[in-house]
Amino acid sequence: MTTTPERTTPDLTWLDDVTMTELERNPYPVYERLRAEAPLAFVPVLGAYVASTPEVCREVATSPSFEAVITPAGGRTFGHPAIIGVNGEIHDDLRSMVEPALQPVEVDRYVDELVRPIARQLLEQFEDDGRAELVAQFCEPVSVRSLGNLLGLEDVPNDTLRDWFARLNRSFTNAAVDENGEFANPEGFEDGDRAKAEIQAVVDPLIEKWTKEPGDSAISHWLHDGMPEGQTRDRDYIYPTIYVYLLGAMQEPGHGIASTLVGLFSRPEQLEEVVDDPTLVPRAVSEGMRWTSPIWSATARITKEPVTLAGVDLPAGTPVMLSYGSANHDTGDYDAPSTYDLHRPPLPHLAFGAGNHACAGIYYANHVMRIALEELFEAIPNLERDTSEDVEFWGWGFRGPTSLHATWEV
Amino acid sequence: MPAIRGADREVECPSDTPVLRSLLRAGVWLPNSCNQGTCGTCKVRVLSGEVDHADAPLDTLGAEERAAGLALACQARPCSDLVVEPHGAPGDAGRLTHPLRDVVGTVTLVEEIARDTRRVLLALDEPLAFDPGQYVELSVPGCGSRRQYSLANTADEDTVLELHVRRVEGGLATDRWLCRTLAVGEEVEVSGPLGDFVLPSEEDDDGGPMAMIGGGTGLAPLVGLARTALARHPERELRLYHGVRGEADLYDVDRLRALGDDHPGFTFVPVLSDEQVDGVRHGFPTDAFTEDVPKARGWSGWLCGPPPMVEAGVAAFKRRRMAPRMIHREKFTPADAAGTSTPAPHVTQEEVA
Repeated sequence: MTTTPERTTPDLTWLDDVTMTELERNPYPVYERLRAEAPLAFVPVLGAYVASTPEVCREVATSPSFEAVITPAGGRTFGHPAIIGVNGEIHDDLRSMVEPALQPVEVDRYVDELVRPIARQLLEQFEDDGRAELVAQFCEPVSVRSLGNLLGLEDVPNDTLRDWFARLNRSFTNAAVDENGEFANPEGFEDGDRAKAEIQAVVDPLIEKWTKEPGDSAISHWLHDGMPEGQTRDRDYIYPTIYVYLLGAMQEPGHGIASTLVGLFSRPEQLEEVVDDPTLVPRAVSEGMRWTSPIWSATARITKEPVTLAGVDLPAGTPVMLSYGSANHDTGDYDAPSTYDLHRPPLPHLAFGAGNHACAGIYYANHVMRIALEELFEAIPNLERDTSEDVEFWGWGFRGPTSLHATWEV
Repeated sequence: MPAIRGADREVECPSDTPVLRSLLRAGVWLPNSCNQGTCGTCKVRVLSGEVDHADAPLDTLGAEERAAGLALACQARPCSDLVVEPHGAPGDAGRLTHPLRDVVGTVTLVEEIARDTRRVLLALDEPLAFDPGQYVELSVPGCGSRRQYSLANTADEDTVLELHVRRVEGGLATDRWLCRTLAVGEEVEVSGPLGDFVLPSEEDDDGGPMAMIGGGTGLAPLVGLARTALARHPERELRLYHGVRGEADLYDVDRLRALGDDHPGFTFVPVLSDEQVDGVRHGFPTDAFTEDVPKARGWSGWLCGPPPMVEAGVAAFKRRRMAPRMIHREKFTPADAAGTSTPAPHVTQEEVA
């Protein structure tokens, strides 16, 4: 059975006019309408079905009738086999490769010693300045330095890691397709390709070193763990997952820290509460992740068989994009979802996804964000947003503030 | 007699006694501060057993929290064996602490030290162990009420308690008793110690700089804290601000200035809000602090006084970038917070962990 978009979404012609630029600037109006009118709908510019409500996202992410698939632009960027887009034995092997360092017991062992000194050192560089652009000077550097050191990339500068994730991001989310389903902007992948070449130039020698002399870095463990004596995983096999890390795992804790701060700045009395009582930081982060989910619409599933969902017939082999950032603004679950509210009932949100492809780094990332904010409020308890500068959010696949200017008395 | 198990210790508890008191009587620490149900510091989760919430106010312990198994340890009475655990950040709950005890104090001194303000010394029948900055409860004769007063003592001054009492117009304890009829030789029922307005443990005290701001008789616990802090680290920087309305409200100025003779890092700063007097700072003590200290990063702070002063102090400390977890507060709130009509000096405290 085949199902055309025209048949299932006869009243959704307004979607024909939706552009990537519009979605990247502010995806919320389009998705609000999708949630109301068609929680599972074919969006022409994306060339794919989109799940926009919590119910449909959960169903797609956890149903045995679906399995993982990487988005076309994601696959073009990362190659195969990226952990987010594979299934079965390869997925099991890649999860078993990355998970040991991300288990809660293991994270508890190292995360404080890893992140706290990094956050403190960054703060020392500007805490007496009385002003800072927190995204570039704190949120992103805490994130990339922490994960960089964990991976074994101690010698790669913060700004290089930040540059890599930004370029991989633009490539990964270069999702627009034309009427034939072809990439509308193929040149948009070229800079990502250059970034990957730079990454390989740095990481190849490290892989060669760790192949001969196993180290304590995560990538060294990826090469050796679970392999027969004398064998390592092939570098081509792990590179797609290295790119997953160098994009999402590097970028998103920084997005989460910055979005939480913007949310708290929008509620000065709640900022005050969190500054006064650091035990509220995890709750503030959780609401920040709901309010502006960093992985807004970057993952997908594909039907393994014909499926009828939300009134839509999907033939086998139909990809569906998961819009977790939209699901987390569903009015069925959240009153005034576009408002940041520390005290809203702490319902589980979908910022880390669901099912067997849910984020493997959830525990690690939450602690990185927590420690970063604890240290920021400890050093600068009188932090205020610099209201002479605007805060602009950007991104459809991945979303967060592009800058965040703050001031304080020194 | 139900037993309460908290933090791996079993404690006998009479059914007419709040859980908190039974734990403290057995020397088991549970975070606590106001002991009148208003601050929520002593919230516990009842893991098994039943409690009577008694007078726990709904403002502090809502219906949803009760349904979820939370209780205010300072109010809840056990109806059965209980297992409880501290709610929220466990902190150092369960450690051994100075047991809460009932002792008798004999008044050895009643001294008018300032306008409407008395120093009362109570000689105890036996020594009472406490941490400087904690408070005791006095039983008001003939009415069954209790009132809370901070100790101005250091820990080794454990046989004669020093209290600073300010008369509150119409106050059950102060106007009718402590500032009126109280006489040398009178015996007073004392329960204590209570509260957590205390210094870090000696091993955790690195001698860092400190700021203390007291309003009125909020000076009392700071006198004990400051002397203890200076005894630990004689060279440390410590600025003690005393905010009052007028010159007639100041007391112990010479005593506190004299502390500076042996401790060059100590500064005592009286501040008058309503009077201009040569040689004495004018304004609010919290503003005096921000004028004097350009940067308080790495400092710790202690605030004791009426709630607006304490709030202003928190803001002043943060403005000078003192870390919130280093800010300790003790608020005076009216004793009628739980429903009686007569305001009296009363201490409740919340500490920023």
